[in-house]
Amino acid sequence: MQMRMRMMHRSKWLVPSFAVALGLVYLAVQWAGGDPRGGLVSLAIMVAFAAALVAFSGRSSAIEVMRNPRADERSAMLDLRATAFAGLVVITAVIAAVFYELARGGDPSPYAQLGALGGVAYLVALFVLQRRS
Amino acid sequence: MQNLIRELRAAAGLSQGKLATEMGVSRQTINAIETGRYTPSLPLAIALARFFSRPVEEVFDADADANDA
Repeated sequence: MQMRMRMMHRSKWLVPSFAVALGLVYLAVQWAGGDPRGGLVSLAIMVAFAAALVAFSGRSSAIEVMRNPRADERSAMLDLRATAFAGLVVITAVIAAVFYELARGGDPSPYAQLGALGGVAYLVALFVLQRRS
Repeated sequence: MQNLIRELRAAAGLSQGKLATEMGVSRQTINAIETGRYTPSLPLAIALARFFSRPVEEVFDADADANDA
């Protein structure tokens, strides 16, 4: 008896397309800010990233996950854990920056606001998720 | 968690890629399950057991760590 798992994956082109779209947004906002050259550099970086995802996804399992994080349940799990780890690193850096600014008598508000946003987002997600599962 | 996926797959004459296609997952996922690096979800574990016409508790040994092998 066969029971085929439901394929989770969205398009393999979604993440590369999003990277290019983000590059175009960089170009637009940097152009609007009077730095079109910087915008073109940002666009080039994002296009190169998208091209690398497409070119090397067949050669590296990690890049394949980056290109298509919902390919299957293991990819989704790896993506979730990597995202959680990255979030932990960012929130740790934000908290360290708040302490650093306080210690030097500076204004920690920008970092404190980012930290508060992260904390609120975590709490909201936790309350919503615990109701669903 | 130890499992018999590699043995059952080999006995069936299937490649990891072919089994992955049948299960709707990647070849890397099958490899990770066989080597004990990844414990599949309950639906995937049941699908694998059903594919080989075995009880799930016979295919997967929840009491044994893959590192014990």
